[in-house]
Amino acid sequence: MVARRRKRAARDAEEGIPSPPGYSAVPIKFSEEQTASHYLYMREHRVRDGAKSSWPQKRTLFVLNVPPYCTEECLARLLSPCGPVQSVELQGKPELTESPKEPKSKFFHPKPVPGFQVAYVVFQKPKGVSAALALKGPLLVSTESHPVKSGVHKWISDYTDSVLDPEALRVEVDTFMEAYDRKMAEEEAKAKEEEGVPDEEGWVKVTRRGRRPVLPRTEAASLRVLEREKRKRARKELLNFYAWQHRETKMEHLAQLRKKFEEDKQRIELMRAQRKFRPY
Amino acid sequence: MGPAPAGAQPRGDAGDPEMMEPPLEGTVKKGKKEFSKKHTVAGSPVEGLLQPVKLSRAELYKEPTSEELNRLRETESLFHSSLLRLQVEELLKEVRLSEKKKERIDAFLRDVNQRIMRVPSTPETELTDQAWLPAGVRVPLHQVPYTVKGCFRFLPPAQVTVVGSYLLGTCIRPDINVDVALTMPREILQDKDGLNQRYFRKRALYLAHLAHHLAQDPLFGSVRFSYTNGCHLKPLLLLRPHGKDEHLVTVRLHPCPPPDFFRPCRLLPSKNNVRSAWYRGQSPPGDGSPEPPTPHYNTWVLQDTALQSHVQLLSTVLGSALGLKDGVALLKVWLRQRDLDKGLGGFSGFLVSMLVAFLVSIRKIHTTMSGYQVLRSVLQFLATTDLTVNGISLCFSSDSSLPALADFHQSFPVVFLDSSGRLNLCADVTASTYHQVQHEARLSMVLLDSKADDGFQLLLMTPKPMIRAFDHILHLCPLSRLQAACHRLKLWPELQDHGGDYVSAVLGPLTTLLEQGLGARLHLLAHSRPPGSEWDISQDPPKHRDSGALTLGLLLRPEGLTSVLELGPEADQPEAADFRQFWGSRSELRRFQDGAIREAVVWEAGSMSQKRLIPHQVVTHLLALHADIPETCVHYMGGLLDALIQGLKETSSTGEEALAAAVRCYDELSRLLWGLDGLPLTVSAVQGAHPVLRYTEVFPPTPVWPAYSFHKHFPERASLLPRPDKPCPAYVEPMTVVCHLEGSGQWPQDAEAIRRVRAAFQLRLAELLTQQHGLQCRATATHTDVLKDGFVFRIRVAYQREPQILKEMRSPEGMISLRDTPASLRLEKDTKQLPLLTSALHGLQQQHPAFSGVARLAKRWVRAQLLGEGFTDESLDLVAAALFLHPEPFTPPSGGAGGDPQWLPGNSETTPRHGHHYPSGSQKLHMDTGWALAPDPAAACGPGSRGLTDPREAANGSLGAWRYQDSVPAALGHV
Repeated sequence: MVARRRKRAARDAEEGIPSPPGYSAVPIKFSEEQTASHYLYMREHRVRDGAKSSWPQKRTLFVLNVPPYCTEECLARLLSPCGPVQSVELQGKPELTESPKEPKSKFFHPKPVPGFQVAYVVFQKPKGVSAALALKGPLLVSTESHPVKSGVHKWISDYTDSVLDPEALRVEVDTFMEAYDRKMAEEEAKAKEEEGVPDEEGWVKVTRRGRRPVLPRTEAASLRVLEREKRKRARKELLNFYAWQHRETKMEHLAQLRKKFEEDKQRIELMRAQRKFRPY
Repeated sequence: MGPAPAGAQPRGDAGDPEMMEPPLEGTVKKGKKEFSKKHTVAGSPVEGLLQPVKLSRAELYKEPTSEELNRLRETESLFHSSLLRLQVEELLKEVRLSEKKKERIDAFLRDVNQRIMRVPSTPETELTDQAWLPAGVRVPLHQVPYTVKGCFRFLPPAQVTVVGSYLLGTCIRPDINVDVALTMPREILQDKDGLNQRYFRKRALYLAHLAHHLAQDPLFGSVRFSYTNGCHLKPLLLLRPHGKDEHLVTVRLHPCPPPDFFRPCRLLPSKNNVRSAWYRGQSPPGDGSPEPPTPHYNTWVLQDTALQSHVQLLSTVLGSALGLKDGVALLKVWLRQRDLDKGLGGFSGFLVSMLVAFLVSIRKIHTTMSGYQVLRSVLQFLATTDLTVNGISLCFSSDSSLPALADFHQSFPVVFLDSSGRLNLCADVTASTYHQVQHEARLSMVLLDSKADDGFQLLLMTPKPMIRAFDHILHLCPLSRLQAACHRLKLWPELQDHGGDYVSAVLGPLTTLLEQGLGARLHLLAHSRPPGSEWDISQDPPKHRDSGALTLGLLLRPEGLTSVLELGPEADQPEAADFRQFWGSRSELRRFQDGAIREAVVWEAGSMSQKRLIPHQVVTHLLALHADIPETCVHYMGGLLDALIQGLKETSSTGEEALAAAVRCYDELSRLLWGLDGLPLTVSAVQGAHPVLRYTEVFPPTPVWPAYSFHKHFPERASLLPRPDKPCPAYVEPMTVVCHLEGSGQWPQDAEAIRRVRAAFQLRLAELLTQQHGLQCRATATHTDVLKDGFVFRIRVAYQREPQILKEMRSPEGMISLRDTPASLRLEKDTKQLPLLTSALHGLQQQHPAFSGVARLAKRWVRAQLLGEGFTDESLDLVAAALFLHPEPFTPPSGGAGGDPQWLPGNSETTPRHGHHYPSGSQKLHMDTGWALAPDPAAACGPGSRGLTDPREAANGSLGAWRYQDSVPAALGHV
């Protein structure tokens, strides 16, 4: 094991590309002009038995360290020479399940600020994965045929994108709210229907909408009730009525003082250690 | 075999005796042992952190002994709290002289006594003939004029007695001085020696001869001269032991006349003992004008005669009362921390002891009181009694031959008579020094009365040097200019009285002049006292001008500070002439709106920062006009840092005006929002949430009007887009404004739906503002940007219940509980805490106009240290606010940002102190930094203004945050 690791290290040193064990490193550059490059670390996506993964086994390539300037389309384009790509998904951190595919609103879920990400690339055939792992040359993100904006141009385009169309926003809000209202109405109707109707075991569900509304089941409400109970009990109790009660209160007071004294002494000790009593 | 059974007992019992013992040596040793054990157990990872106290049940609930009960009761009745009692005990232990050292000092004193008695006597010579003095020693006195009648010879002292604090046991470390009175034999002195400094000349010669002989003795490490309390006529001899004891003790030799030598009636404050003819070297004027009285000269002679009786009085009062001695020691520490006790006219430890004696005599202090109570009573007395108006006296005899207090008030600014009724103990104390003492006492009383946990630290442990205690400071140097000032102010009698010490002679008139000129701008004016100098016996005494510079501190009153007008009397009133005379060419006749024609002085000041520096103009004008001190001799420190918070193109203003303009614009906008009709729910509140709106943005925003030719037009969205071929457009930071709507039950109770409804509100808001007020708006899902008068405001509609809805979590049983989530915390911070903070700090700015400058300067400085994001903007604002809300032991700065050197040292000083502090206290500053440094700023509570905070939240700062706090101040301390 140790020997193997040493051999690995030796090989890495030869190639000059350190990579996490089990990953193959593929250099990626922004364009021709750059001399230095980032590295994509790739591995076949594999999970232990029993763990669930929604990514297809054998056909999925797991990529680490995807630079921020590399988009999903870009990655798909760069890996397409290895074989037809079915899908590419960029994520902040590795997750075993595919994210839900429902389209997110661009108004309400703005894209997070990108950093280095991980990608799951699904090929149509398992051969694609092995071909990708064997990739050598530096991948170029921005080429003449597919230029990627940078610098002021990128900022200007970002700014232009950030100017939203208020009409579109209004339409989206309206459609969402209509759907929401419909859903709420349905739920209410259903609740009304169920009101007072016992289920198969004979239990009747009590809701807030019924004729006699009940307290909401929240933590705060239950705490409030407990507190009220406690206060009621305290009012009824007699304080220092019996001699032993009196004695105990006094003892309690003394114990408090003692405790305070001990704490104070400790504080003083700490201050003394910090030379807090040297006035000048 | 003793310890074995004790060891076998449970641990709780082993700790028992410690609590039972009286609070003397035993406790300490035990305590130390126990705590060293605890320290090792506590281990290094949380060094400096307190462990929860663990006491076994048996220990907590065992039967109390009578000693323990006594101690607890005593603590309750005599001290503020048991912590304070322990702290005071520790402090006293630190400053008290140990018994071992006392023995060594006593041995040294016996040696000194022997050596003094062995000094040989000399034959009688004329006072002016000083050829007999050996070469290696110079007379420690400026002999001006030199000629004086009388003869001198040296004889060993008739009596050598120890006087002063060493004898009373109230001396405090580190400077242990033992005062020794040498009674000169009667043969040395002649009649009329009280006249024309003859007594002082003899006194000086006596010391010179003594010094020459003692300097040859190997017993002494150093033999030097110094002045008694900085008085230039009264030198004294300092003796320090040789070798490793050199810093142990300084013995000070005071020669004094034999008892009953001077007739007290000749030394009353109204009498003259320095003849003008002799002093000025002129023939007597002959016009029969009376000689001016010499009250200070008389007092200095009297002080020498009263040394013994004062010690007797003090020892009878303080004698057996331990509490009183503790109190005096505490008061001495208090004075020393405030630099009040040194120099000529300082409020010395002796004065305080006499004050305690006075309070005992009028039964304000009882001998059974504790040191803390004595401290409190004396401070209370000082805070409430103005000795410049109502003097006090230790003399209770009804002898009609004694002068009345009123006579003393005519000669001295502060009056406190000793038991003889003839000597004013506060003769050299100037009115401003006394007012400074009073001011400090008042501040300290407020601190003691407040529930502040750290009163002890702030009261007795924090040094308060002049440079940090005052808003503006000015140095007058070189001091030789003051001699010219004396002549200009016609202070010849005072010079004669002070024996030529022009610095102390001019001090009183100069401070009165400035106080009158600054008037309502000034809260307190204080002056430095020349430091006590020491010199070698082979050198001439230092000249008056050698004591560096005279420093004056101005504590300003924010209300009157910024007025540019000094309103004088009406032109036809007789006072108008005085006013013209006082202000000189600056006074001009002006007609006012109400038709009155008055004398007035108008200062030129455009911006707020210039207005704050009007005292500079006043001071330089008055000093040049009345005291002949040119501007080049006045080094004024105020507004020095203003340039740091001026904008790039600004030179005259520090941005207050620009901030106010932005806030005004915001006010207008909020009024528009309030009056907006057509919104489904009306606007219930508009709150700012941006640093500009709490006056703490370092560089205030300037209104921006975009240049159309520099942009590409985007007509369908009514927007301008930057063009790549043109220069980058100016960055405009939007100012966040939170807009609350009236409550309604119609809001959906689902997070996603609420966001949609809010977006609809944002759209509607933009629409209405454009329609009704013609403002340019752009709405997005979360905010609406509004361009108004060149400022951009970002209005965010808030729904009060939204954070709560984000917090709701449903447990499997269907119970709904509230748990903080990152989203809810962020929302709460943006819509609740920041607006609250902003309005609180906005209010603070109205109270303290200097706040804005200080906060911005603070921010500027911290940002310049490149400390990263550890300090958020809000936390820095809070630290600056704490300086105003809890300035103890200082006062809130009012001299403006630049003029206020308090902040920087204040911060580097206070932050470490609080950083190391115990987290349960109600320390605001401490908590505020906790707010900033806790992992999530929103986790702790809101702003640090009064009454808005909950101390318990401070504990939220996790361990990591505490350690972080420890490391940060180190970085702060670098600069």
